[in-house]
Amino acid sequence: MITIRISDLGKRYGATTALDSLNLQIGLGVTGLLGPNGAGKTTLLRCLATALAPDAGRLSILGLDPFVAAQRTQLRRRLGYLPQDPGLYPNFTAYDLLDYIAVLKELTDRQRRQAEVRRVLAEVGLADRAKTKVRKLSGGMRQRLGLAQALLGEPDLLILDEPTVGLDPEQRMLFRALISRLGETRTVLLSTHQTEDVSALCERVVVLSGGRSVFDGTPRELAELASGKVWLSAGPAPTGVYWRNAEGEYRTLGDRPVQGEPTPPSIEDGYLTLMGSDAAGVVR
Amino acid sequence: MTDWHVNPELLLDYEQGALDPSRVMAVDAHLQHCPRCRSTVRVDMRWLDDSWAVIYDGVHTHQPKGAERLLRRAGLPEHRARLLTATSALRWSWLGATTAVLTFAVVAANTGAAGARLALLIFLMVAPVLPVLAVATAYGPPFDPMHEITSATPMAGPSLVLWRAAAVVAASMAVGAVAAALLPGPGWWAVAWLLPALLLSVGSLALATVTTLPLGATLLGGAWLAGVGAVAAAVPGGQAREVIFGPSAQTGYLIAVIAAGGLLAVRRRRLDPGESR
Repeated sequence: MITIRISDLGKRYGATTALDSLNLQIGLGVTGLLGPNGAGKTTLLRCLATALAPDAGRLSILGLDPFVAAQRTQLRRRLGYLPQDPGLYPNFTAYDLLDYIAVLKELTDRQRRQAEVRRVLAEVGLADRAKTKVRKLSGGMRQRLGLAQALLGEPDLLILDEPTVGLDPEQRMLFRALISRLGETRTVLLSTHQTEDVSALCERVVVLSGGRSVFDGTPRELAELASGKVWLSAGPAPTGVYWRNAEGEYRTLGDRPVQGEPTPPSIEDGYLTLMGSDAAGVVR
Repeated sequence: MTDWHVNPELLLDYEQGALDPSRVMAVDAHLQHCPRCRSTVRVDMRWLDDSWAVIYDGVHTHQPKGAERLLRRAGLPEHRARLLTATSALRWSWLGATTAVLTFAVVAANTGAAGARLALLIFLMVAPVLPVLAVATAYGPPFDPMHEITSATPMAGPSLVLWRAAAVVAASMAVGAVAAALLPGPGWWAVAWLLPALLLSVGSLALATVTTLPLGATLLGGAWLAGVGAVAAAVPGGQAREVIFGPSAQTGYLIAVIAAGGLLAVRRRRLDPGESR
């Protein structure tokens, strides 16, 4: 089921084109946005979250048109947004902060608001940190609090800009479990630099470059772009991208090195094949 | 999950209502998180959850202080007061700084006859700018670090901007009014700055429909200071005050306030970050 339709979407910042006649359709489940820095990921997410007005094009999100003021407000009632830099007020306690954002989300009835704050705190595992000030929370806890605020009001659409950045492996795993569960019943759109997140979470992946979509498919399809181009060998390859893995073998993406054995490609291999020298910024 | 479980005798006493309240609450708390103990005792989990929710909220709920308490006493709904007092310009630090600037001007105006006239003029010139500075910080980046989150909520846009601006202008003007009452000399000079202050505040909001609020406020505040400074330098003696704050000027300010208000009403939707400009 398609929940987001993007047609010829454009956005410029002065002479820089952030989104260049972008066309995309996104459905229920978790969709990942990949792309190098400056590809337009954050601009796209901000436009979809109604925090930024596009310059051109058409949008239909959950059947609503965000260019129309009344529909934009209706849409805001149904979306949760975690920006790249949430800027959570440092002197608020976790509970107070969520209570304040719940008011912004029109949960004006105090009892209902308190129940909702309790629910999202429990959902992200911060129920015992409700009285802790934001500045005293660890980076991972702050990120979880950021996700908690996005969950207020049980939104149908979740827009998460690099939600796993700065998390340690255990926290990232917990985060993935939570996002994956949320994606069972709603549309979750997340941007990331972590190809591991995409393979672990996303049913679908979109790669942006220069404000355009250059790939739209499943993580497996992205990986298959490098099919027949990934090799393991004892020595370094004369050409292509290669690195030495933990077993001491050389993993090469490109032409077959001497005595190279083919190996299944990863999403990162597919991404590197797709983007070539523009791939800077994606880390393993 | 826990490895510790309530012993059967204690659970029996709990079930029979033979425990004191503090022990009942301890067992309640444990039962909430221990399916094993729950399975051995008759307990109404819905009642238990509701009871603990009340306690949890009682412990964690925000306690209104300072400006928020004042707003609620003034009759504002609880949620509205919450929204307004998150504004940086309604915090004590900001109000303290405003008070300090005005106190300085009042003290200067009260010391010595020679400098009093000039100090009064400076007060009248500076006082209208203080509400504008507060308006500049009322909404949006860089003064609200959570602006990005706020922008994606249904409250975002003109309603929130105007509520916050009204609150900070009212607070700044209240401080200014107290300071003005302490000025030497008679009459209506003490309130001569009010219309210019209103004009700069409403004008900044109107300008914010074409640029950012901080930039609009800075441009207008800067233009005011440069303009009145130039008049003060060009017009001799006590006439500057008459030219800038006299009846003719006040009429002009009033007309400009009405014009800026009209423009703001027409273009208010552009205060929404999601609206095309």
